[in-house]
Amino acid sequence: MPGDRGREPEDADAPLPHEDALLAVRAAEGDEEAFEALVHRHAPVLLRLATRLLGSPTEAEDAVQESFVSAWRKLPEFRGDARFSTWIHRIVTNRCLNVLRSRQPVTALDSVPEPQAPEHQVSPPRAAEAHAAVADLSRAIEELSPEQRVCWVLRELDDVPYESIAETVGISQEAARGRVFRARRYLTEAMAGWR
Amino acid sequence: MAMNESGAPGGTSFGGASEEELLPCGRELAQVWELAEAGEPDPHTAGCAHCAEALRALRALEGVVARARDDEPPVPPWDTAALADRVMDVVRLELRPGRTLPLGDVDEDAWIVEAAAARTFRAAVDTLPGVRAGSCRVEADPQEASAAAPPPGRLPRGPARVRVEVQAGLSWNLQLVADEVRARIVGAADHELGMRIAAVDVVVTDLLDGNEDEPGGDGGGRDGDETDSGVDSTGLGKGDCGGDEDAAEGRQR
Repeated sequence: MPGDRGREPEDADAPLPHEDALLAVRAAEGDEEAFEALVHRHAPVLLRLATRLLGSPTEAEDAVQESFVSAWRKLPEFRGDARFSTWIHRIVTNRCLNVLRSRQPVTALDSVPEPQAPEHQVSPPRAAEAHAAVADLSRAIEELSPEQRVCWVLRELDDVPYESIAETVGISQEAARGRVFRARRYLTEAMAGWR
Repeated sequence: MAMNESGAPGGTSFGGASEEELLPCGRELAQVWELAEAGEPDPHTAGCAHCAEALRALRALEGVVARARDDEPPVPPWDTAALADRVMDVVRLELRPGRTLPLGDVDEDAWIVEAAAARTFRAAVDTLPGVRAGSCRVEADPQEASAAAPPPGRLPRGPARVRVEVQAGLSWNLQLVADEVRARIVGAADHELGMRIAAVDVVVTDLLDGNEDEPGGDGGGRDGDETDSGVDSTGLGKGDCGGDEDAAEGRQR
């Protein structure tokens, strides 16, 4: 259950919204120090998100760095209608989505690839099991379409409600649910050897 | 949290859900998983082997996902400070078009960009305990603009009008905080910039309670003792400071 996951690290040191709002206003008016403070406040969570989305800390750093530069350029248009954290999450997510899209040849939107046969048709010894299962999961995630992957990571790893996923990715809530469902279906099949 | 996915039970139809996603019992796989995710009781599933198997698959996946999350390093492997440095290197190289404001007297040729002046004023305001400046715009005062046309992109020489938005702690009296903010800005304009100020408009945008007015660790000084402003030089003198002992505490006088 989503509520049982018992992880709060992202929220524990979440930046205070009103402080963000203040810093964003300052930064929008050209205050570089205020922007630097925003970078420091949000970079850790965004790096974690981008790493989950891309599966690579190095690429995640690049994506987050570019996102912040892009945010600085767009800040004069940021009117504070959304929270700064929502806004920057959206920029990072879309940047990562573009990175994922550029990685692979064009595939039909939301197409479901044929699951690859799990490497272990027979359950491997318990000792190495957990690690190997996680490795298989990582491989299976790579097979998802960029759109499925982004929605699934936001839902399953970042615990984002469907409503917010839809808003972040710019699709309907139903489409977000559909993508998460198809990702789950593919992943359960890909991980069938572990049951 | 995750529980606000409303309206799911029953007939939610998934875009692209097709017959192959129907379980042998006739249930849509998507629906079975969705009800489980939403924590909705589902009498059919409780007694159905096919649904139970579908749920086992989902739970098994969740188990591996949980392990994957546990495997993430507790201390992130990134050097956030280095990343911030790289971002700021780019940011500082980018020129933000901004207004240029006059400094000094009419016959001088000293200028400052608005963002730098605003930063000075915000820092001065932030020295007041529990007070933080947000938007700060600086413009030429239309009434006092000199006749001479300024160079392109620059404001006419003459005293400036400042409009500043502030957040203040609840203990502040509004009139008092406005007066104090004016005094800090006029003092900073005079002592730090050499800018003449015609007027300071103060807008209190937020009153924050005690826990909130502590910034999240960005170290803005708030002791408020160092800027002793020469307030009266522009006739904007401090208002009557009587009546709010708590707020008045700890400031210059």
